[in-house]
Amino acid sequence: MIPRHSASRRIAALALVGAASLLAAACSSGESALESGNERPTTPATSAPPATAEPGATTPAGSAPTTAAPTTTVTPLADLPPCPVDALDGAAGPVELTFWHGMSNELETALIELTDQYNASQDAVVVTLQNQTGYEATIDKYIQSSQSSRPDIVQFPEYTVQLLADSGTVIPIGACIEASGFDTSPILDRILKAYATEGVQWSMPFNVSNPVLYYNKAMFEEAGLDPEAPPLSLEELRATSQAIVDSEAAGYGIALDTGADSGGGWFIEQWFAKGGELYADNGNGRLAPATRVLYDGPAGVELMSYVQQMITDGLAVNVGDNASGQDNFLKMADTVSPAAMTIGTSAALGTVTAVLDGGLIQGITGEDLGVGPMPGPGPGALVGGASLYIVAEKGDEKAAAAWDYIQYLISPESQSQWAAATGYVPIRSDALELEPLATKYVEDPRFKVAYDQLLGTSDDPSAFGPVLGPLREVRAATARGVAEIFNGDDVAEVLSRTAGESNALITSYNERN
Amino acid sequence: MLAPSLLILVTFVLYPLVRAVWLGQQRCDNFGNNCVSRGFDQYVDMFTSREFQSALGVTVKYALLTVPLGLVLGVGLAVLADKHLRGVGVFRTVFSSTVATSVAVASLMWLFLLQPDVGVLANVGWINELFPSVKDPGWLRDPGTALVAVSMSSVWANLGFTFILVTAGLQGIPRDLHEAAAIDGAGDVRRFWSVTLPMLGPTLLFVVIVLTSRAFQAYGEIELLTQGGPAPYDSTTTVTYFIYGRNSVISGDVGLQATAAVLLFLLLLVLSVLQLSGLGRRVHYGD
Repeated sequence: MIPRHSASRRIAALALVGAASLLAAACSSGESALESGNERPTTPATSAPPATAEPGATTPAGSAPTTAAPTTTVTPLADLPPCPVDALDGAAGPVELTFWHGMSNELETALIELTDQYNASQDAVVVTLQNQTGYEATIDKYIQSSQSSRPDIVQFPEYTVQLLADSGTVIPIGACIEASGFDTSPILDRILKAYATEGVQWSMPFNVSNPVLYYNKAMFEEAGLDPEAPPLSLEELRATSQAIVDSEAAGYGIALDTGADSGGGWFIEQWFAKGGELYADNGNGRLAPATRVLYDGPAGVELMSYVQQMITDGLAVNVGDNASGQDNFLKMADTVSPAAMTIGTSAALGTVTAVLDGGLIQGITGEDLGVGPMPGPGPGALVGGASLYIVAEKGDEKAAAAWDYIQYLISPESQSQWAAATGYVPIRSDALELEPLATKYVEDPRFKVAYDQLLGTSDDPSAFGPVLGPLREVRAATARGVAEIFNGDDVAEVLSRTAGESNALITSYNERN
Repeated sequence: MLAPSLLILVTFVLYPLVRAVWLGQQRCDNFGNNCVSRGFDQYVDMFTSREFQSALGVTVKYALLTVPLGLVLGVGLAVLADKHLRGVGVFRTVFSSTVATSVAVASLMWLFLLQPDVGVLANVGWINELFPSVKDPGWLRDPGTALVAVSMSSVWANLGFTFILVTAGLQGIPRDLHEAAAIDGAGDVRRFWSVTLPMLGPTLLFVVIVLTSRAFQAYGEIELLTQGGPAPYDSTTTVTYFIYGRNSVISGDVGLQATAAVLLFLLLLVLSVLQLSGLGRRVHYGD
């Protein structure tokens, strides 16, 4: 036996003391981690960011007061980084741009094609694409990088508008639009405005999607329903589900999930917009930074009670939090007790049709798949997908080059090509008149449903959707509550508690940012 | 000659550690700037918060589900394959193959095995009859079974690692010990308990420490299989997933993330020291 060293004994003893002190501290308060460090007299809980901030990281946008009056206070573009659109003329050689994106598979192929065309079309700019393997990975990497190692252009999903606006790291696209006199009138207003807060256009929409209803036409026929007339209102959704269950055409009317980016969060925001209800205060956070969510009011209780009743009555089936992102679709393919409908993002349509056309799902063909607008209290949809940001402090030439490339990506020709290849909604109406999209929409009208749904959106302030700094975290918190509601818990009670958690997230964000 | 390695150690280990400890008592904006000190009480608050306590509980359960079972299976397979039989190489290759399987691949495989609608396991008749919950609601969706299901995937994925180490350990046991025991009349079972196991001591200690540390740091399988769910119970939100997972309440707060990360580091340190001093004392180093 090798004798034990006394040193290791001492370390063990120290470790034990450490463990004991940690456990002693664990007189578990039961408080949320978000309360950590709050309400301590030594710390300024509501003060403005301290003067020790890194100079490059703060801009007037970052220090905007969180308690601004809910009036149309337009943040002047003059206080934000300018967009030197003419700087490209003075460039000595080709300006090299790096573009971080989150597109994969056929989406990436289509983006590479567009970028190759752009690079070949002119001599002034060369764009290099860098796939970051997804939106979340792009956000993480962008946050973790210093400004100098960030790219020149970056693609971020729709829920990050406020985060980027507060970051002080981007040139607002609105400055480029103004400086170049770019005509935004062909761009659908509701798509453009989705990326604007407090009067500043932060980014340029590029790939747009929204949730639609996927349904099995064969099951509709079996239930004696018109396979070309999917339900539009919530009442119709219930009646349709009832007919399907009664006729035993399927085990359930609709498969619903509680994922944060789908049924547990994003769809709830969609339903609020469809019903003309604000989801957050200060005009959904677009007039001034939001301070709280509003979904625990009567509208939210009514909506979620409806969904809960659908599940209780066996008309809808809860497929859980959908970690795979496909569980709601796969419930339609269940051989024992399938659902006839589900709600999913229009961006999945290309994949779903490819899987069905490939004969990968037994019993359902590509022709069986119908697509309709997302049923709800009203028409319309919020803009999902992602947009393009120009990164600041990269030099005038790069900014001008980035603006040039973005204009190419959103030209009617590019958008026609992009939408036809990917299934995303074109951001401008004139793209529909051009090939290949014109033919695509005639040949397979299912791909046009998401576009038509967006056109049907009202001009009500609620129709532009909430912008919250911690929108992704709020969705996750909301999704937990939705799961409880789906499990049968008291709707008003759960919503009130979940809204409280969401508000704590918003307060924490507003204090820190 | 120590300078280059010291430089690497300081840059990639020491500086990040010190920085994390510092960051752990700060509240910063989402980009990690504009930090305000909240004092080291932030560590106590974090440790006592219900989210951290819940995540810690899940992590301990996860370690208890994966480490002993993984160890027993790994030793069992290694002992079975430690025979001079024809074709034993094939078995050794098969048993150790999971070491070449990434967490992502293993998790996706289990995801599609366990998917309740089109998955393999859910649609095999006898499994379905024996465990109805594999189909409805599905093991990854049932708060009661989700952690067990994730553990299964993890045990499977780590089996190759344990198998290889234990096989190497077995081959280091001198044959004459077994022969001497056999002459004394010890059967297979007696020789396993009295010769094989004690001689494997150092290997097993190493495996236990590594498997425990892996269990405490598991992230990939949880991200791919459950994302911390099933909601609303956070049944698979381990401390690592709480720190970095996309559905965590602290996902936008680098200060609190650092707090939790440093606490996890301290816990692992304590655990490893306890394992070394506790189990290590019983290990026979065969001198």
